Amino acid sequence: MKTAETIFEDGGHKWIAIVRDPKRPHYLIDTNEHLIVQDDEAILCDPGGSEIFPAVFSALSAEFDPSQIRALFSSHQDPDIISSLSLWVEFNPNIKCYLSWLWADFVSHFGGTEKTFVVIPDAGMDIFVGGLRLQAIPAHFLHSPGNLHLYDPKARILFSGDIGAALLPPDEDGLFVENFDRHIQHAEGFHRRWMGSDKAKRDWCERVSRLDIDMLCPQHGAIYRGEDVGRFIDWFANLEVGVLKSA
Amino acid sequence: MTIANQRGQQLRHIVGINEEIKKVIATAFIINLTAMNAIFLAKRASTVALGFGVLSKELRRFAIDLQKQMAMLSEMTYESVSTVTALLKQARLNQMLERTMGVCSGLGKSLVEDALDSRLNGFLADRQEQSDAVNHRLSEMIADTVQLVELGSVLARSARIEAAYGGKLSVSLTQVSSDFELSIGEIQGSLEKLTKHQFEESAA
Repeated sequence: MKTAETIFEDGGHKWIAIVRDPKRPHYLIDTNEHLIVQDDEAILCDPGGSEIFPAVFSALSAEFDPSQIRALFSSHQDPDIISSLSLWVEFNPNIKCYLSWLWADFVSHFGGTEKTFVVIPDAGMDIFVGGLRLQAIPAHFLHSPGNLHLYDPKARILFSGDIGAALLPPDEDGLFVENFDRHIQHAEGFHRRWMGSDKAKRDWCERVSRLDIDMLCPQHGAIYRGEDVGRFIDWFANLEVGVLKSA
Repeated sequence: MTIANQRGQQLRHIVGINEEIKKVIATAFIINLTAMNAIFLAKRASTVALGFGVLSKELRRFAIDLQKQMAMLSEMTYESVSTVTALLKQARLNQMLERTMGVCSGLGKSLVEDALDSRLNGFLADRQEQSDAVNHRLSEMIADTVQLVELGSVLARSARIEAAYGGKLSVSLTQVSSDFELSIGEIQGSLEKLTKHQFEESAA
């Protein structure tokens, strides 16, 4: 079963990371789900695929009432990101799903109704949860053509979808990055192959460099914190992307 | 066998029904053409083949009726596919919820229990009723079709008897009537398979 770890807490404002499932079948990629709570409302970032729904729901419900989740944030359209949509709708038929305008008509094949989707324009937008202002930040073409990240200026945390993702071996799968140089080796191949646009990459690096970020939380792998956030952005800015094989 | 597997099997049976419907429609088309040919032959044979001519016209009408009947059956199987697909999707969701309940405790578990209860008593029960109704109508229509084809078989046999009185064209008329019998035999074979699929689909 997955575990729910509180990575930030300031009164009623929390970030809960739902991570690692030792019983996960090997043919399913490991994913991280992030719940942002403000008092009695919450938004769940990249809720995951339907196959892992039981593990996510179970870990999450130990920490927070799942029926209080008002919205889902889908960084892009992949099945490991949002194919559990129909199950979340079961628990709250009024739940909203924020995602790029590019994908609303596609993701609706996973579930939901006309009223479920709130489309985000290419430039991004503010999303409010229990009075907390979050910012959907553009990350288009990294890797999906309609890709967004979610920034919490108050907690100084960026949920970065597939950027920063690492495919970690079982003995190096801690919640946080502890040794950047060692960790980044597990991220390199993924970023070279999945991230297709050098221009989009440079734009993103420039954009997020202007933000105050204490933690960068990807959808796969470990969380970057403190100086490792800047290290990662610099590393990514210099990485050659859109190549079939690592150099 | 899980409910999702049962629904999958139902879908495979519907595919089987549909395949047989396509075969019957194709054969009915051939009967229609053969009957037109037979009407011309009977006219050439003049008064000695009057009976054969009447039977050929009846066989043509039979072929047209059969095509219409099969088109209606085809529409009904489409409805059946929609219902079973919806049930399959719901069964899959139920499976995921049951798995979720198995790993949850406390608040999570009671939330999932409530969700499952309301699903089973509400939407799913309605869908099941809908599926049963479609199956019932499908069975009735297949039974009607079997009767219609029985009539076609009688007409083909009578045409064979009438062919013997066809004078100089007797050999050609016998050949045509054999073609009718053969085609109707194929249709009966398809209907047997179709009935079997339908029975298994209802039982699944």
